[in-house]
Amino acid sequence: MIRLPSRATRPPAPNPAAPQRPREVIVVRRVVKTYTLGQIEVHALRGVSLGIDRGDFVAIMGASGSGKSTLMNIIGCLDLPTSGRYLLDGVDVRGMTEDELADVRNRKIGFVFQSFNLIPRTTALANVELPMVYAGMSKKRRRERAELALERVGLADRMDHLPSELSGGQQQRVAVARAIATNPAIILADEPTGNLDSTATREVMEVFSRLNAEGRTVVLITHENEVADNAKRIVRLRDGEIVDDHRTSPVDGPPPHFRGGTVATRGAS
Amino acid sequence: MIRENMRIAIQGINSNRLRAALTMLSILIGVGAVILVVAVGNGSSKAVQSRIQALGTNTLVVSAGGGFGGFGGRGARNGTLSQRVGITPQDVTALQDKNNAPDIKYLSPVRTASSVTASYQGNTYSPASFIGVLPAYSQIRNYPVQLGRFISSDDQANNAKVVVLGTTDVENLFGSATYNPIGQQVQFNATTLTVVGVLKSKGSNGFQDQDDIAIIPLSTMEESFTGSTTPYNQLAVEATSASSTTAAQNEITSTLDADHHLTATSATQFNVLNQASLLQTTSANTHTFTVLLAAIAAISLLVGGIGVMNIMLVTVTERTREIGIRKAIGARKPDILSQFLVEAVFLSLIGGLLGVAAGLIGVHFKIDGTKPVIVPISVILAFGVSLLVGLFFGIYPANRAASLRPIDALRYE
Repeated sequence: MIRLPSRATRPPAPNPAAPQRPREVIVVRRVVKTYTLGQIEVHALRGVSLGIDRGDFVAIMGASGSGKSTLMNIIGCLDLPTSGRYLLDGVDVRGMTEDELADVRNRKIGFVFQSFNLIPRTTALANVELPMVYAGMSKKRRRERAELALERVGLADRMDHLPSELSGGQQQRVAVARAIATNPAIILADEPTGNLDSTATREVMEVFSRLNAEGRTVVLITHENEVADNAKRIVRLRDGEIVDDHRTSPVDGPPPHFRGGTVATRGAS
Repeated sequence: MIRENMRIAIQGINSNRLRAALTMLSILIGVGAVILVVAVGNGSSKAVQSRIQALGTNTLVVSAGGGFGGFGGRGARNGTLSQRVGITPQDVTALQDKNNAPDIKYLSPVRTASSVTASYQGNTYSPASFIGVLPAYSQIRNYPVQLGRFISSDDQANNAKVVVLGTTDVENLFGSATYNPIGQQVQFNATTLTVVGVLKSKGSNGFQDQDDIAIIPLSTMEESFTGSTTPYNQLAVEATSASSTTAAQNEITSTLDADHHLTATSATQFNVLNQASLLQTTSANTHTFTVLLAAIAAISLLVGGIGVMNIMLVTVTERTREIGIRKAIGARKPDILSQFLVEAVFLSLIGGLLGVAAGLIGVHFKIDGTKPVIVPISVILAFGVSLLVGLFFGIYPANRAASLRPIDALRYE
């Protein structure tokens, strides 16, 4: 088997600036991202600094071209900043190789994408198990955790369904289950409701609110105000800079639209 | 992890069965063809060898210069016309002397009568060869009888009017190859001969029908057909063993040269046909032929490999998004690499196994009259090469998949 050193045995990157369990799970410091398209330099991010606390529910908003996707790629460790620093859960990603970034994504980030991005022709359960497969978890353990995660998003009765047999809202909830199954430091959702109707949008946002109420950090990228209203803090980007950053609810409290109750009992739509 | 990759790869293959089946088919044909072609080549070479061995590998045939020219016998050089003398009874006596030729076991002069027509109750037939020999000929040329007996030393001593027939002649004279003609009187030109034996059928040796023959005692031949003044046509010799044929051949050449007062500088006027060397030449020919065919079959295996690569490239392009998802949720480069590599190897592995099965089934059929004989190493080699082909042609597409940047792959539509 071609395998880099085991994920378990690799020592964490030394980082004297960050204590063992920092209050801020995301620290973005003066991050600049510049793309070169032929002769033209595109400044996608012009020095963004942002700190996100553990347990917060943040919506990052902005029109297309505002740099929010670039910021999300950097926060999601899919891309590295041109300059500036990014610390995720106390780990500085600067200078990491592609495979090291893959490990960071695997352990610390739960992705939810606009187009669901489930693996086709693969059951909901297998999709949720996938990140744990890459984490090298035993079959029995990841099966248990995947089942638990699917129950949490209210799809206990849809585990053996293929993505093509599920509605958009259900598919997105499978994606959320996949994101939370590894117990990551943050859940990073990129326009998670962009492809959903209003009912499904409400369903999915309830799941996010609930996860946040349970203490998970959620970072949401969206351009819809009603979606952003679910968050405790709204950050607006324009032309690669933060133009607005305001808090609507305290970090420690419940998310503004969380009505309590369990999603699981609502069943599938 | 490798188990997981295999599971994922099988899932990938399963999701596009027709395409996978066609790819496997191309490998199947390559592997099956290699196995079958090598088996056919081996089978035909075995068949020719057994036919030549039926002549007796210890056998040497000596003829006067030019008689067997072009037959490929070792030392076959044509004597000039002025030197042509032929094999005489003195030569035979000299060769029978163990001091001259210790490696000769048996020896029989052969006289051939041409244009002899046999007739029996209105059926007429001209045997391809009508020869007069000594009783030892049966042993030398490996001509056992299936009915009756071969000519005996009494026949030779008494100029007995007897004949031993090959099955082709029996069929032509008596209407059936299985007819028992023992005791029947057959007219050969002006001489009436009694059939005393039928030779066991030997089939064709690749050059002539060995069953189209009538054999009579040498003395009878000289008395009734050819006379004894001309030289013998041939000398059939059996060496003491297969390994001493070359030694026997040298002894014959030197004895005859001495007998005819030929010097080392003058050309040898006798041809000695060595069955062992004929066997070698024929084996070499069939070997070359087999190698050529196997090379063509191997090319089809290569083409199958290119098919695997093509399909894998299509698969990688098709699943770019999936690769992006896998990478986003934590798949490393080696994970993706092994996933697609396992898929490519799996395709060629199944194709190879089916090819081996097809080859093993195929050898049970006769192909162009040849019974294929499987060569075990060809099976192992063809299967092994098919695996390597999958690995080799899978590396490029798999590496391409593994090198995709997750953000680009995720954005791919």
